Amino acid sequence: MPIIKAKNLSKRYQQGNKTINAVDGVNLEVEKGDLLAVIGPSGSGKSTLLMLIGGLDRPTSGEIEINGVNIAKISDAKLTNIRRNTMGYVFQNFNLIPTLTAAQNVEAVIAKRTSHDRKRVMAVLQQLSLDQRAHHLPSLLSGGEQQRVAIARALINEPDIILADEPTGNLDSKTGEDIIRILADLKTKHGKTVVIITHSEYVKKFATKVVEIRDGKITPTR
Amino acid sequence: MFYLRYLWAELTRRWSKTLTVTFGLAMASAIIIVIISVSQSLSTAQDKVLNPLQNVGTDIIVTRSVDAENMAAIDETSRNDMMEDNSIGMNLAELGDPGEAFSKDNFMPGSMLTFDAAEMDNLNPTLVKEAAAGLIMTVMHQEGTVPDITVDITTGGETFEVNEDIEPMTDGERAAQDAARTKAEAELKERGVDPRSHEGMEYMRDAMDAAMPERFRQKSMTFVAPSRTYRQEVGPIETNISTGNLTVAGVDTTKTDIGLILPGQVTSGAWFSGADQVIANKAYADKKSYALGGTIELGGKALTLVGIVEPQLYTNTADLYLPLADLQSMSGKADRINIILVKSTNAQSVEETSTALEDAFVGAKATDSNDTAKEVTGSLVNAANLTNRFIGVTSIIVIAAAFIIVSLLTVFSVNKRIREIGTLKAIGWSNTRIVRQVVAENIVLGVFGAVCGIGLAVGAIALMNHYDISLTATVANASTDSPFGFARRMFGGETDASNSTTTTVQLTVASTYLTMLLGSLVAIVGSFVAGTLAALKASKMKPQEALRNLE
Repeated sequence: MPIIKAKNLSKRYQQGNKTINAVDGVNLEVEKGDLLAVIGPSGSGKSTLLMLIGGLDRPTSGEIEINGVNIAKISDAKLTNIRRNTMGYVFQNFNLIPTLTAAQNVEAVIAKRTSHDRKRVMAVLQQLSLDQRAHHLPSLLSGGEQQRVAIARALINEPDIILADEPTGNLDSKTGEDIIRILADLKTKHGKTVVIITHSEYVKKFATKVVEIRDGKITPTR
Repeated sequence: MFYLRYLWAELTRRWSKTLTVTFGLAMASAIIIVIISVSQSLSTAQDKVLNPLQNVGTDIIVTRSVDAENMAAIDETSRNDMMEDNSIGMNLAELGDPGEAFSKDNFMPGSMLTFDAAEMDNLNPTLVKEAAAGLIMTVMHQEGTVPDITVDITTGGETFEVNEDIEPMTDGERAAQDAARTKAEAELKERGVDPRSHEGMEYMRDAMDAAMPERFRQKSMTFVAPSRTYRQEVGPIETNISTGNLTVAGVDTTKTDIGLILPGQVTSGAWFSGADQVIANKAYADKKSYALGGTIELGGKALTLVGIVEPQLYTNTADLYLPLADLQSMSGKADRINIILVKSTNAQSVEETSTALEDAFVGAKATDSNDTAKEVTGSLVNAANLTNRFIGVTSIIVIAAAFIIVSLLTVFSVNKRIREIGTLKAIGWSNTRIVRQVVAENIVLGVFGAVCGIGLAVGAIALMNHYDISLTATVANASTDSPFGFARRMFGGETDASNSTTTTVQLTVASTYLTMLLGSLVAIVGSFVAGTLAALKASKMKPQEALRNLE
């Protein structure tokens, strides 16, 4: 059974009196342990597709199954649970909470602090070579470091799926490649299912599956 | 607890936002505390002036007042008393010799007729708890030099000279003379009288006189003395006599909690403690530059100024206060009083007591706080009327404005965190958890704001009290009716323009705990309500919308 399955998935917006088909009848299957790269030009609907997969938005029509559960129809509370336990998000703008330190940003996901949790947070940060930067505020970290904190935050609840929306968009190419390698390692070393939306050709080196999206429609390229 | 550390981090690391919101909340609550405190203080000040009776432990004042309205209606006894009370005579000749200096005080009760102090016994003890007598009199003070009023005028002593040429005798006349002499000599010889004897000479003279022409014997003429007018300037007799008015009150010193003035109203110096002492009204002492311990001449006595008082019975103030007995003897009004201050046994039965008192005294008039309130005008009354009229509206506007400020600040600060809230949703925070976090932050901000608001308000109030804010109240004053004003009114003239006292009331702003609580609640509740609404709205947003929201 595919871990992610989209069936005739559509998302339409009303902009003025014009209807925009951001995602238009997408059918997609991702197996556990895949690394899916979604490529395409700006405004093609890549981000909307990722939001739908991640349960951050609801489709206008069609189905989206995560581990066999159609999340298009479930309650907000259940969706929140799925987001918390099944998904880890990495954003283009990192979206760290600026008033919290690196470690606290990671902690925010579990929002409690037993000594076991603290060890877990430090272990994840260490895994991403951030143990020296754990008590720094995001504003004192470089872009690459901030994105690594975001990845650590995505990993802390040990989700099955990591969703990354242009994770390298705000980074220089060298740092961007580092981040891609880290995400790729999650697949290869930890068996995570990873979906990356990107402009970067470099991702294709690690991807098990690449789809291109144009005007809300996808064409498999591999 | 992660929540608390997150909350603390939000407040301390976004310190400029924290300060802005705290300051806004503080301003809102401070404005409320100050406005309410000022209006409460105004009404306290107003009560003090509008009900001056309570300042001197009194419910009712009993007087026998005469004024233009009731002149016609007064009884015979009162009319006689009024005439006797207010008659003064001044015989210049009694003052001394011309050129001598003199000083004289005339005591008159004016429109407040005196009555026997024994009438106090008529007070019904079931209605009257306590009473104090007083005697308020106008003093007409005259001083100057006794004028010279006699003029001596001497007339007569003039000399008039008349010269006239008389025609000489004609020959015929001479011949007649000669004939008369010859005839007389012959007659004397005939009688044997020597013409050289006394008799002979007389006879001869008479005979010759008879023969003399008419024009030598009689001269008749009319003479008119020149007319003269004597004028001497005598001048007005009061040339250097100055006249001054002041009001003097005799105070019942046996009472310390009811009376025209009370020991507690002495602002400097002391209360009466011996003979020949006087206490001055602060306004009068300032005007006359009297100093404590100095001497004031009154009614021919040298009195020592022992105290300065700020009288609180605005309708019946005096310039100088003496013990009642001293004033009675000085003014020749032994055992006479003209005002009784009455404390009713029951605050609810003031009107009943008033009626009973008016019945018990001849020509008596009972005045209670309702009557005195009507006599007050001035900026204090205007300010108080203004606050009374607008207090409801003002408070609502201020509280509404404060709520709007608080809400805008809160909504603004929450809106700046929409993307953060979207992130929290993405990482699995439930709506409840997000709302709880934001609301907790806003409650803490509200508490900060309330505490700072109280501080600001206390500071602002201290500043207001530092810069003396005074309000005036003008009270028609029965006792300072001058004899002239009184006389004018007796004949239906205008009321004496100076017949009022302007009282300055220091506005002392004080805030109560209740006011501070109200001010604090506005900040806390406002922050809580606005924070909750903003957080609920933000949490209801789809995470994807929230995430798109750029900071």
